[in-house]
Amino acid sequence: MTQATATTEIFAIEAIQTWMVNQIATQLSIPAANIKVSEPLTRYGLDSIDSVTIVGDLEDWLGEDLPSTLLWDYPTIAKAASYLVEEIGVSPAAEAA
Amino acid sequence: MHPLKHYWVAEALERDLGDPLNPDSMMSFKQVVDLDEKEEFPHDIVNWLYNWNLHHHYIPAECGGEFTNFEEFVAFVRVLSRRDLTAGIAFTTMFWSFLVWMAGTDEQKRRLASFMKDQHGAMCLSYSEKAHGSDLLGGDVTATQVPGGYLLNGEKWPINRATISGVTFVLARTDDAGGARSLSLFMVEKSKLDEKTYTHLPKILTHGIRGSDMSGIRFEDAFVAEDARLGAEGAGLELALKGFQITRALCAAFSQGAADTALRTTLKFAMKRKLYGKTVFDMPQPRRVLTDAFLDVLIGDCATIGAARGFSVAPEQFSVWSAVVKYFVTVKLEAMVTDVSAVLGARFYMREEFEFGIFQKTLRDVAIISMFDGSTVVNLHALLLQMRQLAKYRARNKERNPEVLNARLETSFGLDKPLPPFDGRKLELVSRGADDVLQGLPLALTQLASLKADKSLTPEVLHQVTTFTEMIQAELDSLDAHVTASSFEYGHDQSPESFEMAKQYCTLHTAAACVHMWLYNRHHLGDFFAKGEWLALSLRRLMLTFRREKDLPPRLDDAAIAQELIRLYSEDRMFSIVPFQLAPAQPETASEPSQTLQLQAK
Ligand SMILES: Cc1cc2nc3c(=O)[nH]c(=O)nc-3n(C[C@H](O)[C@H](O)[C@H](O)COP(=O)(O)OP(=O)(O)OC[C@H]3O[C@@H](n4cnc5c(N)ncnc54)[C@H](O)[C@@H]3O)c2cc1C
Repeated sequence: MTQATATTEIFAIEAIQTWMVNQIATQLSIPAANIKVSEPLTRYGLDSIDSVTIVGDLEDWLGEDLPSTLLWDYPTIAKAASYLVEEIGVSPAAEAA
Repeated sequence: MHPLKHYWVAEALERDLGDPLNPDSMMSFKQVVDLDEKEEFPHDIVNWLYNWNLHHHYIPAECGGEFTNFEEFVAFVRVLSRRDLTAGIAFTTMFWSFLVWMAGTDEQKRRLASFMKDQHGAMCLSYSEKAHGSDLLGGDVTATQVPGGYLLNGEKWPINRATISGVTFVLARTDDAGGARSLSLFMVEKSKLDEKTYTHLPKILTHGIRGSDMSGIRFEDAFVAEDARLGAEGAGLELALKGFQITRALCAAFSQGAADTALRTTLKFAMKRKLYGKTVFDMPQPRRVLTDAFLDVLIGDCATIGAARGFSVAPEQFSVWSAVVKYFVTVKLEAMVTDVSAVLGARFYMREEFEFGIFQKTLRDVAIISMFDGSTVVNLHALLLQMRQLAKYRARNKERNPEVLNARLETSFGLDKPLPPFDGRKLELVSRGADDVLQGLPLALTQLASLKADKSLTPEVLHQVTTFTEMIQAELDSLDAHVTASSFEYGHDQSPESFEMAKQYCTLHTAAACVHMWLYNRHHLGDFFAKGEWLALSLRRLMLTFRREKDLPPRLDDAAIAQELIRLYSEDRMFSIVPFQLAPAQPETASEPSQTLQLQAK
């Protein structure tokens, strides 16, 4: 991997993490600062079906079909974002702008 | 034979079971009421059905059976359920086999098909636990990995057919960390268990379906081999939720069978019973109750049959369709049975009088359908979590790809159209905002506009159908706006108001299903169906949920509805948009002169 792709990936992962944190903070009416990307989402009162609906919102934002069980298999924001960028090759740069 | 071949199995089964009023028939009202009084499992009936090879219709062709599609399935389950919900449900626990047809390996499918066909085996579903009810992830039953397989521990309760079954599908925790991937699903063949490692729990006494084997099962270090697991470890919740999409929609067939008997029995009473020199049916108020009940059956039909076919067309949308049908059809028909009980009068409360007391039994039995296999709140909850997505998708996709949508709707609703085979692997946990039925409203309005030149239609009927369809669209738009504007809660903190919104969604989906059903079948389901008065009256009935009576177009004269009801009754046909032939009723005895002919002659 070149230095440039690694940097792009880091930006992409951060963009997805930021989006998810904000999305969940807004929906749950809690400060974004209280949400840790390394914590399982269930910690914030989200249950299994909620995490499927969050994937729906994520699909809308990214404009890509994602596995609806994404957050079951990657249950933290950090894990999900890395998976999306590193395994599926999602690049949210344009949307995040 | 019926021109629609999906109704052949149902008609043949009817013919061979015979008139339920004849005590000598298999599944006669007398037999099933007697069994119910004794709280006895209907072994003879279940054996008869196996000998008839009905179980072949629960097994897909590629696994050696004769299952074609769910439209055929719904029709024969109605035949069973109009006679006896206890036996109908007991036999139909075999629909859990779809878990294996959907997610099993070839070897698991072969084993299950052979168990059903060669051993006349039955299965049950062990999901619920006494302490956790609907909270599947909260369950305490565990499957601990050991060399070659797993050890099961814990108790499942209340389970229908837990004792009288050879296979049970057990949802068990395989990961102590919890979460959506913590459950796995096992096809547990009791014959392979060490007998010392499991026990059946005592029969649970119930309000209705009293002959059912309601019990439970307890495992103590019960070893199951690795090849008992369905799908991957951790796939249990996903498979359970997808399996429910199949069985929940099919539960509507139980309610429709029961509703038929409630209406048929009450109608017969109303036509025979003379008061003040006329029959009860001749009095406007009771007649209205019965014709409205008939409309409820037709409304339920449009949703149930549309969904039964839709499984083959839009399986990826069934997280929505199935929740709608399970909630709406079962709840409405339960209410309908209660409505007609007022016409039956005192006899509704008696357990022997009038037709062997079948009404009282039906009334008790039908009350469970909206509750088991995902209760009303559980279904509404599943739906309301998707309502934001549904509203968003509709806003974005207005008028997009109308030809594709039209073709899909035509296959789902056009009963004369061939259906592609059902593929359970295409079920999805969420529908990603898609719901053909409601998204098809603009298309339906275009089709209605093109019918203005159709001479066979009464202008007033077409006008009303169009007006009501516009109203459905307007209510949907306003619901979407409301959903989009309202705050959204995750988890189980949804407001009571959001449950009400989900109910409205179900009503609108069902109303749209009625419109599609009519539009795609106007030329082959007979005059009564084609004329569409039933549709205008049904839509009016549904729109009363949203608008005041005085804000709606006036109620059309329902004489044609009453006449059709009597026709189907006197010709022994199912009350349905597809009124297939039932077993002919025995001639009345001399002491009870039939008034059917007099009424027809009017
Ligand atoms: C005749 C019969 C047959 C059955 N057959 C089977 C079977 O074969 N296999 C099987 O596994 N189970 C079976 N069950 C069990 C049935 O599915 C359970 O009763 C069901 O899981 C609900 O559990 P519960 O009644 O303990 O209610 P709980 O889950 O404890 O719920 C209690 C109440 O909480 C509220 N509630 C629950 N969830 C929600 C929600 N999401 N949103 C809002 N409110 C909610 C509702 O008011 C609900 O009534 C059967 C039950 C009966 C009566």
